[in-house]
Amino acid sequence: MDLSQYLEIFIDETKEHLQTLNDQVLIMEQDPENIDTVNEIFRAAHSLKGMAGTMGFKRMQRLTHDLENVFSEIRNGKMSVTPDIVDIVFKCLDALEGYLANIEESADEGTEDNEEIINLLNAVLDGSTVQPDEPTPTLEAIATPVAEVATTVSDGTDKRKFLQLPIADFEINAMKEAIANGMNVFGVTVYIQETCILKAARAFLVFKGIESVGEVIKSEPSVQDIEDEKFDFDFSMFIISEKTAEQVQKVIANVSEIQEVVLEPFTPEQAQSVVPVETVATIEEEKKPAVEEAKTESTNETASEKKKPTADAKKKPVVNRSVRVDIEKLDDLMNLVSELIIAKNGLVSVNAYEGGSQTQQFNEQIEYLERITTNLHESVMKVRMVPIESVVNRFPRMIRDLSKKLNKEMELIMTGEETELDRTVIDEIGDPLMHMLRNAADHGLESTIDRIKKGKPQVGTIRLDAYQDGNNVTIEVTDDGAGIDVEKVKASAIKKGAITEEQAEMMTDKEAIDLLFQPAFSTAEKVSDVSGRGVGLDVVKSKIEGLGGDVEVHTVLGEGTTFIVRLPLTLAIIQALMVEIRDEKYAIPLNSIVTVEDIPTTDVKLVQNKEVITLRGAVIPLVRLDQVLDSKPLEEDPENLIVVIVKKGDKQAGLVIDNLIGQQEIVIKPFGKYIYIHKMFSGATILGDGEVALIIDANTLV
Amino acid sequence: MAELTHSDEIKQYIVTKLGNEQYGIDISYVDNIVRMQKITRVPKTQPYFMGVINLRGEIIPVMSMRSKLEMEEGEITNTTRIIIIRPEQNALLGLLVDEVREVVTLSEEDVEKVSYDNGWDDSNFFVTGVGKYKDTLISLININGIIDD
Repeated sequence: MDLSQYLEIFIDETKEHLQTLNDQVLIMEQDPENIDTVNEIFRAAHSLKGMAGTMGFKRMQRLTHDLENVFSEIRNGKMSVTPDIVDIVFKCLDALEGYLANIEESADEGTEDNEEIINLLNAVLDGSTVQPDEPTPTLEAIATPVAEVATTVSDGTDKRKFLQLPIADFEINAMKEAIANGMNVFGVTVYIQETCILKAARAFLVFKGIESVGEVIKSEPSVQDIEDEKFDFDFSMFIISEKTAEQVQKVIANVSEIQEVVLEPFTPEQAQSVVPVETVATIEEEKKPAVEEAKTESTNETASEKKKPTADAKKKPVVNRSVRVDIEKLDDLMNLVSELIIAKNGLVSVNAYEGGSQTQQFNEQIEYLERITTNLHESVMKVRMVPIESVVNRFPRMIRDLSKKLNKEMELIMTGEETELDRTVIDEIGDPLMHMLRNAADHGLESTIDRIKKGKPQVGTIRLDAYQDGNNVTIEVTDDGAGIDVEKVKASAIKKGAITEEQAEMMTDKEAIDLLFQPAFSTAEKVSDVSGRGVGLDVVKSKIEGLGGDVEVHTVLGEGTTFIVRLPLTLAIIQALMVEIRDEKYAIPLNSIVTVEDIPTTDVKLVQNKEVITLRGAVIPLVRLDQVLDSKPLEEDPENLIVVIVKKGDKQAGLVIDNLIGQQEIVIKPFGKYIYIHKMFSGATILGDGEVALIIDANTLV
Repeated sequence: MAELTHSDEIKQYIVTKLGNEQYGIDISYVDNIVRMQKITRVPKTQPYFMGVINLRGEIIPVMSMRSKLEMEEGEITNTTRIIIIRPEQNALLGLLVDEVREVVTLSEEDVEKVSYDNGWDDSNFFVTGVGKYKDTLISLININGIIDD
């Protein structure tokens, strides 16, 4: 068997465990007395160690081993949590993440021993009452997620299924020989948790573990069948080992998602009597006392920690029935759905063109088809959706580190982690969000002393709120810090030569704040490690716009700043308003449209030689799309203008069009290569009649 | 151009007409030939691009060969065709021509190579050579030349 096929599982699970560790250690830092947290950490560390060991990552195993020891001391009350310990633990977690990164890249943990961290961990242990080098065997046994429950389940069936295995003569001979050589023979039945997805992988890890301590002489189902996942949730085997029952049991139990391991010494004599399957029942009778003995023995061992199994059961999330799918397959599916929508639009437009000469039934069928394609599209989209949790869950740890580094007290409050976004967006959004949080921590929040002086709460608050808003997802990053000092921004821009003093005077606050998004601009007076290298906000902005979203800033001097990021739910299919300019059709994405207005030409005013209209008290600049698009000029101006009011953040503009066609679901298609495309077009789409229409990115016109 | 220097090489060309001239397009680049269809204008693009068309759900830019070769614009007639070429694995490009005539096979000795240092002007950069076929001359189009702009 090849271990590499389980590497992916290992990586995924290690990530999960590291995340748990990070989360829990943060909680522990706040609440050092919480024993549940310590237990949780201990369990995660232990599983990590077991997994690393199974996969042969010795350095990683060693580090987790020491980490585990520290927590076993804490758990036993022999040591208490100090800020120092927390720092060391975090360092240790970072080192583990380093190993993981190496493994992900090259399937090898690398050569970094992290001796320093190990020494630190051992120093912590030395400070406590126990020898650090002495692994605490009882604890390890306890921490295994395996419940040492009764060997028979309540309905009376014997859990020792291995007793029912038919055994061939040569196998008995092998056992006899082994015993003669002073080895132990064990019968084992392993029960895998029913929620486990990759049973075969678990079974494989069990076999792998056993191979390290002994030899399997028989298994049922066969190794091949187990590999092919042709078994229920249990399998039985006989093994020969030099080790004791406890040791072997521990090895098996180290594999996660194992419900239970039933293991007993086995003698060839038993085997002989077992051979005829019919007689099993009677033999059971005779064997009972032996079982009882074994049972008491093992229960004693874990008696002190009986609460463990239940706690563990609670911790393991109930795994949903799910399938891993390659993202490319989903893309293919999405493309097919897009094609279907185009075909459907074709049918709809044929029907409209025929002018109602079709029967009522035909119309109904088309409407039905429309409903189905819309639902299908939604379902496929949902499949691609991932909660943003997978991105934001590393932020609490980051803020905690920043807090230490910057010597500012701060806390991060996150809401809406369950909000979902398209997978492609999720992959890209992590860095921009991190930038914004760092900004909030470094530039936004004042130093603790300043806060006290200003009479603000000593601990600064950074919020990250995510929520769905129509076809968009909004993520807000808010701090209750000093706010952006517009004058300071202007002064800095002048100093950098980005603007002149005259320009600065003319600027509105909003325009000044927009300067922050210019490349190579930073208001930080001191360049710090954390942020303030001048790269940041411009990268944030371009990345988010690249995803079809936008960023906006609200700030109140002295009270704080909010960055608002809006992202589209999906990238491929959007709702758009179809418009006509002369005889050409264009699509304007619905999410940037505020309203459509009918404006008498006489209402158009000139301000600084630019056309504007006044709408509900707001002055809105007009954009003559026909001019922007180099269309044929009209012979005479119409009496009324049809104006599509679009927005970008707070700013609005009115796009003048000739005709409205209506709302339509459109599929965004890329332009081919070689042709130059002005940035006002975000793509093209194919209409129902097969014609191509360009999609106008209203953001570029505001 | 490099491939034309190989000795005893035989290539097939699609012969197209632009005005009174004949142009040959290496058949190995050609994906498809379609009739004239509605071309959607793309504002602010290069002047020799007429716009984009929809070919089986894909958006493909269409270039006017007349415009690219600095000839005056011709009329769209019944014989006007769009030759869809595939210069690269995942990229298609349409070339608008007045007419598609035939497929010819030319061997290396039928082709006179163009050398740019003896009096050819820039507009001929899009031509790799001139092929002799029966009594006519066919300018062979340099695909890399027309896309590399």
